Amino acid sequence: MVGTQPQPVTIAFDVMGTDHGPAEVVRGAAMLSLESPHIHTLLVGDRSLIDEALAETKHNGERISVQHAADFIGMDEKPGEALARKPNASVAVAARLVAEGEAQALVSAGNTGAGVLACARHFQLIPGVRRAALATVYPTRSVRGAKGDPFSLILDVGATVEATADDLVTFAVMGSAYARIISQNDRPKVALLSNGIEPQKGPPRVVEAHARLSEMKDIHFIGNVEGIDIPKGTADVIVTDGFVGNVCLKMLEGVHDTVVELAQYAYKESLRWRAGLAMLSSGIQRIKDITDWNQYGGAPILGFDKIFIKAHGRSKSRAIANAGKVAAKVVSNNLGAAIREGLTK
Amino acid sequence: MSLPDRIDPRPPRRIYRWDLDKTYLQTEFDSLRDLVRTAFQKAHQKVAVPGASALIRELSENGDSRLCIVSGSPKQMRAVLEEKLKLDGVRWDEFVLKDNVGNLLRGRFRALRGQVGYKLPAILESRVHAPVEAEEVLFGDDAEADAFIYSLFADLIAGRVDERVLSQVLEAGGVYPDDAIRVREAWKKIPVGDPVRRIFIHLDRLTPPAHFTAYGPRVVPIFNYFQAALVLLADGHLTAPQVLKIAVEMVQTAGHNIITLSNSFQDLLRRGLPLQQAAVALSQALEGPNKLLAAMRPMPDILAAFSKRLAALGTPPPPPPVQAVDYVSLIHHALPRNHKGRSKPG
Repeated sequence: MVGTQPQPVTIAFDVMGTDHGPAEVVRGAAMLSLESPHIHTLLVGDRSLIDEALAETKHNGERISVQHAADFIGMDEKPGEALARKPNASVAVAARLVAEGEAQALVSAGNTGAGVLACARHFQLIPGVRRAALATVYPTRSVRGAKGDPFSLILDVGATVEATADDLVTFAVMGSAYARIISQNDRPKVALLSNGIEPQKGPPRVVEAHARLSEMKDIHFIGNVEGIDIPKGTADVIVTDGFVGNVCLKMLEGVHDTVVELAQYAYKESLRWRAGLAMLSSGIQRIKDITDWNQYGGAPILGFDKIFIKAHGRSKSRAIANAGKVAAKVVSNNLGAAIREGLTK
Repeated sequence: MSLPDRIDPRPPRRIYRWDLDKTYLQTEFDSLRDLVRTAFQKAHQKVAVPGASALIRELSENGDSRLCIVSGSPKQMRAVLEEKLKLDGVRWDEFVLKDNVGNLLRGRFRALRGQVGYKLPAILESRVHAPVEAEEVLFGDDAEADAFIYSLFADLIAGRVDERVLSQVLEAGGVYPDDAIRVREAWKKIPVGDPVRRIFIHLDRLTPPAHFTAYGPRVVPIFNYFQAALVLLADGHLTAPQVLKIAVEMVQTAGHNIITLSNSFQDLLRRGLPLQQAAVALSQALEGPNKLLAAMRPMPDILAAFSKRLAALGTPPPPPPVQAVDYVSLIHHALPRNHKGRSKPG
C-alpha cells in the first residue's frame, strides 16, 4: 500500500565467534542501519569491541543498541559443553533476548551447533513440528520467484540426522512457506531427494513421505529428484534428512572448491589455458555474481517459534546485512503462522 | 529631568549559537540542483531537523539566554529564513548570513565555500559584547567545518591557542587577510575565559563519531536532538519535563518511537557521557502527572526500555579523556570538501 511504512523489526546479532571477528558483524549491522530504516539491530557481544568498531563506522545510532555479553563460543568448541560452561556466551544471551521479546529474530555467523542448541533451549518448537530443520541455500542454473532468486533451499542439512516420514513432510511444509516468503515465489516446487525419480524409490520413510506429500494440495510437490537435479534447480525446495543433506552439502562445497583449484592450476600451468580463462572471464564473473552467497546472507533454522538465520562463518559485512534483511522479511511475513497453517492442512 | 523609565534586560547567562543548514534545517546543497531547489524554496516548504525548534524553544523558556545564528546561507535568503523561524516559533537575538554576492563581486572565490574565514570572525565579534560569565553551547553539523571552528573559537577565548597556531590555521584555511585581521581584532577584545560548555555536531551525513574524537569530550556528535536534550539535561540547561516535550515533538512529527529514543540514549551512554542522573530525572518526570505524556501512551514501556538499555551495558564506560586539540594537524577538517587537503586521513 502506498505510504505504508513497514513495521519496525528488531534483529539480534550474535557479534562474536565469527571467522572475521566482531568488527565485520558490526559493520554489517551498521550497513543495515543506513539501508533499512524499519530494521533495528541489537548487537550482542563484548561491548568495548562493539563500540570500538561502531565509532569508526558510518551508522545510524538511532537504530542500533548493544547488549554486553562477556563470553562467546568459538568455532572449534563443542556446542553442548561450551554452552554449559558459558551461560553468558553471546549466542545464548542473544537467543534469550529473542525469546523474551527484546528482538524478533536472531542472526549468528558463529558456531552453528551452538546457535541451534541455544535456540533449542530458549525457543519453542511450533506445534506439530517434532524436530527443527537446518536449511541451506544453493545456487542453481535456473532462477525462481519475482526477484529471479538463483538459490534453491535444501533442508535438512544436519539438525535431524534420522528423519521420519512425518519429519520429511514437516520439512516440506516449512521449506515451502519459507520459499514463498523469501523468494516471493507463490508456488515453490518441492521435491524429495532420493536415488531415483520413481515414487517407490528410496528408503521406506521417503516412500511414505512421497505418498503423503502427493496428497497435500497446498504443497506444489513435484515428486522425487536426484542429486544431479540440485545444481540444475529442478526444485525450489529439496527435502531430505540431516545425514544425507549434510553429505550432499559438503560434496557440493567440495566440488566448488575443486573447480576453483582446477581453474587456478590451469591459469598457472599453460599460457593457452590462461588465455582461454581470460576469454571466459566475463562469463566467470557473471556466474560468480549469481552464485555469490554474500547476496543471500544466511539460511534459516526452521521449526522454532522464533526466527534464527545462520550466516556463514566467513560472512563479510554485506552478507551480515543481507542476513538481517532476510530475518526481518521472515518476521514481517510471519513465517511461524504460515508454517502452522501449512501443518494443519 | 527625570530618569528614563527603562528596565534593561538582564545580561544573558547563556548563549546558544546555531548554524542553520543541516543543523536546524534539513537542507540539501550537495549538488547544483539541490542548491537551486533550496534557493527557491518558500518558508513553509523548508523542513526543520526533528526536535530542533522544540529544543530552541525550551532553551529560551529558561530566560537569560541569547540565540545567535550564524549561517552560510546567502544574505538574499534572509526574509524566507526569518519567516521559517517565525513559523516554528523560534525567536532569535542575532542572525548573521553570508555575503556571497559581495564575495563574488570582489572576486573572493575562496570565501564562497570557505567556512573558517566567515564563521570564526563572526562568532568572535559576537562574543566581544557578551558578559564574561555567559556560558556558551554551540550547535553545528558534520557537513562543513563546525567542529573545528567552534572548538577553535572555544580554545582561542580560553587562551589555549596562541598567535602562532592561529596564524598557521588561518593561512592553511585560506582565510583572506581582512578576515584574518577581524579574527585577531575581535579575539584581542575578548577577556580570557572558558565559557564554551558543549559543542553539538548534528550527524547529518552520519559521519562516524570517532571522526570527532580529536576534539575531546566537549564536542558531542549527535544523531538527533533528543540526544542533545539529554546532554543538556545532564549539564543543567534543561529540566526533565522539557526534555520530554522535545521527545514528544519528535514522536509526533518525525516518526521517532520508543526504540529510536532508547537507542539514542544508550548510544550516548556507550560513548561515556554521564547520563545516569539524567535517566533518573526523566523517570521521575514520567511518573508525574503530565498531559504531554498522553502522546507517549502508545509506548507504555518507555521507562522499562530506558532501564533495559542502561542495564544492558553492565558497568558504564569511563568518560573520554580531556585533551588538547591539535588544530594544525586537523586543518583538513576545515577545508571545503573538494579541496585537495581534505583527503588527508582523519
